[in-house]
Amino acid sequence: MSDATIEVRNLRKRFGRTLAVDGLSFTVEPGTVTGFVGPNGAGKSTTLRALLGLDAPDEGRALVCGRPYHALRTPLLEVGALLDAAAVHPGRRGRDHLLWLAHSHGLPARRADEVLEQVGMEGAARRKAGGYSLGMRQRLGIAAALLGDPSVLLLDEPVNGLDPEGIQWIRALLRGLAAEGRAILVSSHLMSELEDTADHLVVIGRGRLIADTSVADLLSAASGDRVRVRTDARTAAMELLTREGATVAVTDRDTLTVTGLPAQRIVELLSARGIPVAEVGAHRATLEEAYMELTRTSAEFTATAPRETAPDGERDTDTADTADSVDSPQSTDRPQITDSAQATDSAQATDSAQAADATDTGAGR
Amino acid sequence: MRALHAGCVRALHAEWTKLRTLASTWWLLAAVPVLTVVLGTAAAASASRTCPSRALCHADTVRLSLTGVWLSQALCLVLGVLAMGAEYGTGTIGVTLAAVPLRRRVLAAKAAVVALSTGVAAAAAVPLALAAARLVVPVPGPQARAAVGSVFCLVLVALLGLGLATLLRDTAAALTLGLGLLYAVPLLAELLPSVSWQHRLQRWAPMPAGLSVQWTRDLDRLVIGPWAGLGVLAAYAVGLLTAGGVAFRLRDA
Repeated sequence: MSDATIEVRNLRKRFGRTLAVDGLSFTVEPGTVTGFVGPNGAGKSTTLRALLGLDAPDEGRALVCGRPYHALRTPLLEVGALLDAAAVHPGRRGRDHLLWLAHSHGLPARRADEVLEQVGMEGAARRKAGGYSLGMRQRLGIAAALLGDPSVLLLDEPVNGLDPEGIQWIRALLRGLAAEGRAILVSSHLMSELEDTADHLVVIGRGRLIADTSVADLLSAASGDRVRVRTDARTAAMELLTREGATVAVTDRDTLTVTGLPAQRIVELLSARGIPVAEVGAHRATLEEAYMELTRTSAEFTATAPRETAPDGERDTDTADTADSVDSPQSTDRPQITDSAQATDSAQATDSAQAADATDTGAGR
Repeated sequence: MRALHAGCVRALHAEWTKLRTLASTWWLLAAVPVLTVVLGTAAAASASRTCPSRALCHADTVRLSLTGVWLSQALCLVLGVLAMGAEYGTGTIGVTLAAVPLRRRVLAAKAAVVALSTGVAAAAAVPLALAAARLVVPVPGPQARAAVGSVFCLVLVALLGLGLATLLRDTAAALTLGLGLLYAVPLLAELLPSVSWQHRLQRWAPMPAGLSVQWTRDLDRLVIGPWAGLGVLAAYAVGLLTAGGVAFRLRDA
């Protein structure tokens, strides 16, 4: 697994009048899970298809293990890919789907049974794939990707259709595979899916690179020096802290997010004035918030988001400025997937995501 | 060289596993002998008046007993079309090309397993049809060319279907065009007012040309020679496979 890398250099691909990928460059190193994030139609699948040699790039290179895909003699032993979980013949049994793949590389049938066990599909292996649920197809697709024990994995939206248990499972699986030194690229249009899975993020929009950053850097940048203050006297606290030079945003009915003052100073100021403080703590951004922060400034995202007219009310004036996030890539009808670490935030996940954006715009009021 | 050889064998193995793990393959392959025998025997029986005995036979009973090939070609066409059309219909073409990135090799392996499976089915169907016809009517005359040619006909039509599906990337479109090319073109030829144009179309349409290989008497009434006719069908199959192969290599999957 010495050469387990994915390399995209100045990749450009046009379909008719649409420029799907526009000069994209990034690298995925061995031993990491890299999240490949962008809204639907950002060019993620096209990039993955170029890496697999399915679409020929107009310009630039897409290399796996240092070579173009078609130059690999035994591709499944080096690269495992899941592009489309629905890509199974409905009349073929799940195990037979893996069997022909195994035969294409001279692998024994035993290997098909091993990966079926690894993804927990032994029970359904001898049923026709046409009767599989989306989650089962995802598992079968992941089994196919793992068949050749490859050092590079390319997975397009692998979490799609999995139940919460399946999501936990795939997170653990990807972490484990990366720990073995494999290079893993996981695409998603939902940042929350990559929380606690990805080490690194490649964010794209309209075929162009928006960010290529480690998750740790992104989170610390997004969290900044923000302090969360819970108080019953919200208005009084806001006035006081703003006067002291801080930027204050309303997060909730009794919660403020304060930037520009250390937590200790905030407590001193509020206590001195006798303003009751229920809780003061460092604000920890979720990956979703960090993503919003990152993409808010990018025309690729905001240009397509519809603006809504905010109804009256103090709290709503904050969200009015950030209507983008209401119809953000995080679709609101999907369940928010947050780990226990973020459990406290997750109850008001949507609110706090908006508040993160509101921080700047709510300043000085 | 050895790596190349191993790659080809593995691609063949994979395509064979793909073909054999679909129930539709076995239904189609089983239907070829059944249809060929039943239809052939029925057609031969209808000739019992014009051929009461071996000496007094005025019908081409060899050709009549192989009438079923006419319809079995449709089954072979479907088998050939599905071998590639289903890959595009279900999206497995991406998985296939990820496993075997050399597109030429994928198409060659598919052509080989399609030709081999239809060849086996046809090689069972044709002698069975001749034997069954012999039960109801005398079958005199040389049979080797008609028999071997009929097997080739079925194999070539399957390859024609594979070529069409590779070119069109769509099962329904390939079936429509394939069935039209085989069955509708000869019908249209009958409707033409000019006899010379009728003959031209019969000579260059794949099915009447191909089936002329079944004739064992009155060969002077054929518009194209038996082997030459089979050659026309072969040209269609090879031409469409080549065109499909070129498109397959040049296009994005």
